[in-house]
Amino acid sequence: MHKDFKLGKEDINILKGINLDIEQGEMVALLGPSGSGKSTFLNVLGGLVPPTSGNIMIRDYRISEMTENELCLFRREHLGFIFQSYNLISTMTAMENVALALTFAGVKKEIRKERAIEALEVVGLVDRMGHKPSELSGGQQQRVSIARALVNHPEIILADEPTGNLDSKTSADIMEMIYRLNREENQTFVIVTHDPDTTKYCTKVIHMQDGLIESEVSQ
Amino acid sequence: MKFRTILTIIGVVIGTSSIIVMVSIGNGAQKSITDELSGIGSVTTLQVYQDLSSMGMTSMGGGKTDDKAILNDDAIKDLKKIDGVVAVTPVVNLSGGEIEVDREQYGVSLMGVDYAVLEDMRYVTTSGKKPGANDENSVILGKDVLTSFTYTGASTQLTESEVKPEDLIGQNITMTIKRTNANGEEEMKTQKLKVTGVLESTGGNEDYSIIADYNLVTELNEWQTGKKANVKKQGYSQALVTVEDSAVVNAVTTEVEAMQFTVFSMQQILDSMGSVFQMLQILLGGIGGVALLVACIGIVNTMTMSIYERTKEIGIMKVIGASISDIRNMFIAESTMIGLIGGLVGIVISLVLSLLINFIAGFFIGGEGGVTISFITPGLVIFALVFSALVGLLSGVRPAIKAANLSSLDAIRSE
Ligand SMILES: Nc1ncnc2c1ncn2[C@@H]1O[C@H](COP(=O)(O)OP(=O)(O)O)[C@@H](O)[C@H]1O
Ligand SMILES: [Mg+2]
Repeated sequence: MHKDFKLGKEDINILKGINLDIEQGEMVALLGPSGSGKSTFLNVLGGLVPPTSGNIMIRDYRISEMTENELCLFRREHLGFIFQSYNLISTMTAMENVALALTFAGVKKEIRKERAIEALEVVGLVDRMGHKPSELSGGQQQRVSIARALVNHPEIILADEPTGNLDSKTSADIMEMIYRLNREENQTFVIVTHDPDTTKYCTKVIHMQDGLIESEVSQ
Repeated sequence: MKFRTILTIIGVVIGTSSIIVMVSIGNGAQKSITDELSGIGSVTTLQVYQDLSSMGMTSMGGGKTDDKAILNDDAIKDLKKIDGVVAVTPVVNLSGGEIEVDREQYGVSLMGVDYAVLEDMRYVTTSGKKPGANDENSVILGKDVLTSFTYTGASTQLTESEVKPEDLIGQNITMTIKRTNANGEEEMKTQKLKVTGVLESTGGNEDYSIIADYNLVTELNEWQTGKKANVKKQGYSQALVTVEDSAVVNAVTTEVEAMQFTVFSMQQILDSMGSVFQMLQILLGGIGGVALLVACIGIVNTMTMSIYERTKEIGIMKVIGASISDIRNMFIAESTMIGLIGGLVGIVISLVLSLLINFIAGFFIGGEGGVTISFITPGLVIFALVFSALVGLLSGVRPAIKAANLSSLDAIRSE
């Protein structure tokens, strides 16, 4: 798979031919120096940007050929996203942030609340569900965003440096939690990271370099 | 709620309430004047006059004076033949009469009509009855006959009489008229009149007159002027034509005008007033419309600003599964709400303003039962509500489409 970005008139080739298979239930770490194309790869994988050439297949779905609306429906049901900067909506409480993902899926209000609380239970934040993001610590905010990613029970969760803004103690907590979810729910995780410590939880470690996969190690 | 949103809503409030108040003032003016004018009888009665302008024209042109239409008994017969005409009567006026009621003197004028067709005319008596065809000395009093000038000694002043015209029904009143004879001496003549009823208000001259038989009035006129009236040559000054219903008024008017008489009807006034008020409403509504247009621009601006501010939020929503239509509907719903809330508040404010305008107007103008300057119909309220919601909705469309088409990744990266 290739990905070019237009920079002025020039096309610069960012992803230069990536070929990768990921099995259901795997926990994949994506490592590599800054600018090597990790985030771009993850975004293409999640259908947030289309690839320039090549294919992305998730089960039987050909992501690379879906329209924007099809992608949106697909994301609702099958994908969860976790970002380095949490990306919570600042005017909403933790509970509302988590429930928002269900709103678009057309889930009824009472059920939305029920399921949002369930998801917050999983990340251990039920007692903070009425708090706004600004009233929560970084680790707590990241846990809210994980709960949001979980609430639809997606098969795949894509995480872009989920521990990038957190101290090592909190990072370890978050990784433990992700690991537990991976074990218990058999959810597939693709985690971009540049912290080698986090790789110890993963079943597969991929090193990227300059838009290419440099090494792929299963462990 | 954001301060900016509140300001935008205030814009809509000003727009809607100015439209409502402006149109309501047009409504109110129309309502009070048409209420005033449209007595049942008067709408189906045409006043026919000898055409003064054509008389002048022909005499100036020299000769051919016999061409002019004369409103004499032949003409009256012709008028009666027009389709839709129920009754025609000549009108003979006499002014300068005086009557004494309860030791007060009242100046009165007589309006003489043909008692033979009185039954067919749309004169309605509020009390008493109409005189029969042969009751030559019986009269009907106009509603406001006793509200006219009261003579108390030398000074004249407009006072409300304590005697009601109704009190005189069944009584004989004595009317006095005066003339100055050839020797410069003043002569008096008295005439007994029997009051049989009081006329319902027509909004016309009848209200201030005593309706009498035209033979009697002609007789009194001849005594007063000392000349015999030559109806055949000079015609009556006026005739009243009663038509079947208001639907034929215009057709009859055209036919009478074709006979070279001047026609004057309440219908004409109502028609021309109708168009004047329509113009007034369009003009006033237009002023409100401009205010609402400004509000409309305000909504577009607020929504666009809101999109810039919430770009990241939009991106997040798209990433977690909001579709293009979810985002679009969200913004359109928001701008429609701005319009709707603005409209609702605007309606409440204009109802209050309307009461206030009528109260203040009543304070200055006076009059019993309050004054209607501003009149808000339920239709106007519904129109304003629908219109303001529509303005909100339409103003939101472009910003909403813009928001929905943002790239989720670019949006989520923005700060
Ligand atoms: N939208 C974009 N337009 C142009 N260039 C981009 C865009 N997004 C990323 N890039 C470039 O692609 C390269 C890879 O970026 P990224 O995938 O974010 O790397 P990583 O996440 O590994 O640090 C960088 O050189 C970056 O400048
Ligand atoms: Mg990155």
